[in-house]
Amino acid sequence: MTVKISNKLNRKESDLIYDFKKNKILLLMLAPVVVFFFINSYLPMVGIYYAFTKFDFNGGLFGSPFVGFDNFKFLFQSGTILKITVNTVLYNLAFIVIGNALQVFVAILLSEMSSRIFAKVSQSIMFLPYFVSYVIVGVLVYNLFNYESGFVNTMLQNFNMDPIDAYSTPGLWKFVLVALYIWKMLGYGTVIYLAAILGIGSEYYEAAKIDGANIFQQIRSITIPLLVPTFIMLFLFSLGSIMRGQFDLFYQVIGSNGLLFDATDIIDTFVFRSLKMNFDIGMGTAAGLYQSVFGFIIIITVNWLIKRNHEEYALF
Amino acid sequence: MKNVITRFISTLSAVVMLGGLMSSCSSIKGGAAIPAVSTKTTSENGINISEEAELKFYMLGNAPRDLELIQEKVNDLAKKDLNCTVKFNYTSWSDTTTKYSLLLSSGQDIDLLYTADWMYYSQYAKKGAFQPLDEVVPKAAPDLWKFIPESYWNAVKVEGKIYTIPATWKEYTPGVIVYREDLRKKYKLPEIKDIVTFETYLEAIKKNEPTIQPTEELVADWGIGGPGFTAWLPLFDQTHTSNLGVAYGLYNDFRNPSRLINYWDSEEFVRDMKTLRRWQEKGFWSISALSANISQSDEFENGKVACIMTSNPVKYATILLKVRTVHPDWEVGYLSISEVSGYVEPVHPVHNGFSVPKSSRKAERAVAFYSRLVLDKTYNYLTQYGIEGTHYKISNEGYYEMIGDTEANGFPKEAMNGWAWRNPEIQLFDKSFDSVLEMFKKFESTQIVVGENLLGGFIEDYSAYQAERAALYQVQNQYLVPLMGGFVEDVEEGVRHFREKAKSAGLEKIQSEFGKQWQAYCKGIGK
Amino acid sequence: MKVREAKSTILFNILAYIIVGFITLLCLLPFWLIVSGSFTSNQSIILDGYRLFPQEFSLDAYKAIFKIPKGVIDAYSVTIFVTVAGTLSGLLLISMGGYVLQRKDFRSRNKFSFFVYFTTLFQGGLIPWYILLTNFLHLRDKIAVLILPSIMSPFLIILMKNFIKMSVPDEIIESAKIDGANDFRIYYSIVLNLSLPGLATIGLFLGLHYWNDWFMSMLFIDTPSKYSLQFFLYNLLNGAEFLRNLSQGAGVYDSVAIPTETTKLAMAVVAVGPIIFLYPFIQKYFVKGLTIGAVKG
Repeated sequence: MTVKISNKLNRKESDLIYDFKKNKILLLMLAPVVVFFFINSYLPMVGIYYAFTKFDFNGGLFGSPFVGFDNFKFLFQSGTILKITVNTVLYNLAFIVIGNALQVFVAILLSEMSSRIFAKVSQSIMFLPYFVSYVIVGVLVYNLFNYESGFVNTMLQNFNMDPIDAYSTPGLWKFVLVALYIWKMLGYGTVIYLAAILGIGSEYYEAAKIDGANIFQQIRSITIPLLVPTFIMLFLFSLGSIMRGQFDLFYQVIGSNGLLFDATDIIDTFVFRSLKMNFDIGMGTAAGLYQSVFGFIIIITVNWLIKRNHEEYALF
Repeated sequence: MKNVITRFISTLSAVVMLGGLMSSCSSIKGGAAIPAVSTKTTSENGINISEEAELKFYMLGNAPRDLELIQEKVNDLAKKDLNCTVKFNYTSWSDTTTKYSLLLSSGQDIDLLYTADWMYYSQYAKKGAFQPLDEVVPKAAPDLWKFIPESYWNAVKVEGKIYTIPATWKEYTPGVIVYREDLRKKYKLPEIKDIVTFETYLEAIKKNEPTIQPTEELVADWGIGGPGFTAWLPLFDQTHTSNLGVAYGLYNDFRNPSRLINYWDSEEFVRDMKTLRRWQEKGFWSISALSANISQSDEFENGKVACIMTSNPVKYATILLKVRTVHPDWEVGYLSISEVSGYVEPVHPVHNGFSVPKSSRKAERAVAFYSRLVLDKTYNYLTQYGIEGTHYKISNEGYYEMIGDTEANGFPKEAMNGWAWRNPEIQLFDKSFDSVLEMFKKFESTQIVVGENLLGGFIEDYSAYQAERAALYQVQNQYLVPLMGGFVEDVEEGVRHFREKAKSAGLEKIQSEFGKQWQAYCKGIGK
Repeated sequence: MKVREAKSTILFNILAYIIVGFITLLCLLPFWLIVSGSFTSNQSIILDGYRLFPQEFSLDAYKAIFKIPKGVIDAYSVTIFVTVAGTLSGLLLISMGGYVLQRKDFRSRNKFSFFVYFTTLFQGGLIPWYILLTNFLHLRDKIAVLILPSIMSPFLIILMKNFIKMSVPDEIIESAKIDGANDFRIYYSIVLNLSLPGLATIGLFLGLHYWNDWFMSMLFIDTPSKYSLQFFLYNLLNGAEFLRNLSQGAGVYDSVAIPTETTKLAMAVVAVGPIIFLYPFIQKYFVKGLTIGAVKG
């Protein structure tokens, strides 16, 4: 890794003015990105104001009555907000950490396997779950676990064991949901790490081989350390959305099964159920804002901490 | 290299142009009336039709395959009569409620939009999404104004103004239990007359037919009633004649509608929950029912379940038709809950209608055109049944007959989803619909009281308790639904727990606010 | 020494085959059930559930989808066009952006990275965005609406930035600058070549996104012949779903035949088919050692 070049000596002019003077071409190349996000993402942000109004059609966005924080009240009224917030964060952490660890693992296996054909075929197959929509995942899971004719219980009965009543056993679903998500995203994430491994210069491995390192040692001392920046980048990136759940996964697999909510309810499903008979723009926006502000605080803090110690790993 | 740069620059300029468009558009948006040569200046009703207009028409659902064919024919007529053309648009059935709300809240240029109670007509009207039609209809469509009874016009009023043109076809959608009559006969079971005989039937199925599940019950949403479990509904409805169902734990009786009774606090509630627990223990529905996402009619038609407890007359007719072709050896029976309770309500006039959204600048023409869809037989048949000889024919007995099957026919009956402009005076029926009409006739016979649909006209203003309401629905979902499904072992304890949770969600506040509004409403309509 | 190395490699391979083989099986099995289910009669799916091989073979589900071949063909053409056009133009813009954002001498890189990342935290919601695209950009019912709003995403830009940072050493850029190459030339002739695996990955992800997208069609497309494939399929299903979920009181029905369980499965197969066959062609960019050697040699 190169030592970071310090520009701190001549910081008299601001960075932006400096770039305008010296990096015109770079700025021009970045322009489409800036314009795109400005139009597509920043302009609509005026809509955040909906969170503080009681929408009506005569007033529109700015003319509707201002109601302060009224629209946020529903989040706290049922007293479950803390639990579902914790659920959301924990599920996301499990998705990110376990998911990425497994993706790294599989990517390393694939990249070092002797048979290219086998690696290619299995890599293609690992992508299949990504295409299976959660609607169908929900159907398959129901066919696996339903009490009367589900695959699991049929198997258990064949072995003379007691059937399990999965749909009233909340604890089980923590594992099922995490497993499903990891299963679905495995192929996708593996590609990222595979590409990252391919970006590692072969000279590192040549040198290691000359030093007599075996394949396990190469993986431990070259591949894994060089994948750390990618892992940290992906981790940081996901942190900002840690308050947003995989709505489709939870909704299609769990449905409206109140018996499981203690273990499986996340902010997105909670908000969906609260608002589906309301079509209230203000309350919906308020819930989104709650998630945003939390995510914002978390990512800003973590990024700041990382930047202090390893600037090259920081997201921004 | 050069190639890449050119591509880069052209993309960039495209993006920049978009930006430019954005800033300039607000000025173009204003008026874009296209002047056109016209032969007529006014129609017979005195509205100005000198300018050619294109009306934008929005329906729910998917467009029929032959829509363009029909649209052309309609436009030929409309061009002649009203100097306008119509573009029929469809929301598709995907995320319809989202799309509907986006169309309205983003102020799209729409001239006629379908409305229904289940698409929140009164809520939208109250928030100002539609134009008042009190003056437009008598002026632009005096025939229609007279054709629709005054009581209908009054019933759709929101805060004293008419915002939709109601449909006049009177239909009923009460609960109907559909079951396998052949199995009943096979096991020589008593005729199904009420929920007691029904329990015997389900028990017999459970005992004798190992491959058939007695019934498939699911989690459901009942609008103002919130989430519930389907098996509970017929149980409640056969002994109660409420205008409300159960809303926030309250119900009433149609004989004295303003008096609200607390169901969740009653002993009767505990008893009902115990009944449901008993049914569940007897294995009438799947232990995994709370997470099931299954089509009940699919399962019924394929012989997986023996009954559907919450069907309605139209669905019954559809099932009947299907079963007759696929399993001619079966018999299908039905028990209409209204016959047990002795009470039925027709749908409310807001059930089907058409509004002119706020954004439209062609209200008069739109209403005049819509009037023809309802009253003019040529327009009406074209948009309801298609082209005679191509899509349908009328049998000697006066029934509608589709030509070919649904796969070959590009415009089956009511393919435009024109439920709102059905005209009872000229409407055609399919032979299979006779079973529904028969049911309707039964309702109007003497044994059953035909009540008035009060809930449809009630406009709830939940802004004072919107947070509590959302919280209560959560509680219902988490604690009441499992109770109704019979999944809570200790019913008494479960009920106590639910009551406690509901109370802390703010049930009392909701009940008192809602009660005040409901009583004021009843008083307002003289009940 | 040689022997020991070989031993560990053999051990590694044995482990790798077992583990990868197992995971592959886990990924294949559900899909296999879907394929098998799609060739089963609807009645058999409802009564017998999912099986590894159809209990009662039937092509009904596919017949239902291809009932109107024009619809499927239109949808395929729209999706193929959108995927190709969107992926190519998106790849260009994203790689340029990623390249600029990782340049150490581009001082505002963190500010701009934040500018991009911020959009994943705060969104204005559906309505203002809908108003922007329909009322101001006039993209409603235009094919362009299926392409433009998804042409880049913060995730892909930051991922690209990371890939370039990993695979293009700073020294190469420095020395190219000293040789007098301008920034765009460095991007075009060095960076693009060195980060082929990264480009392939981003291209794949963009392509997948376009291929799988139904949301944009749902919101913005009115004309059925402009529906994307996924929406076309999704919509076949949704009519049934929506009408089923309506309460019994709605009393509304759709006269068009309702798709069934197996149709749902056949749709999944129809939607995945072509793109899964394309995947091996992209895979050639994931061959180890191909790129680095080529440029440095």
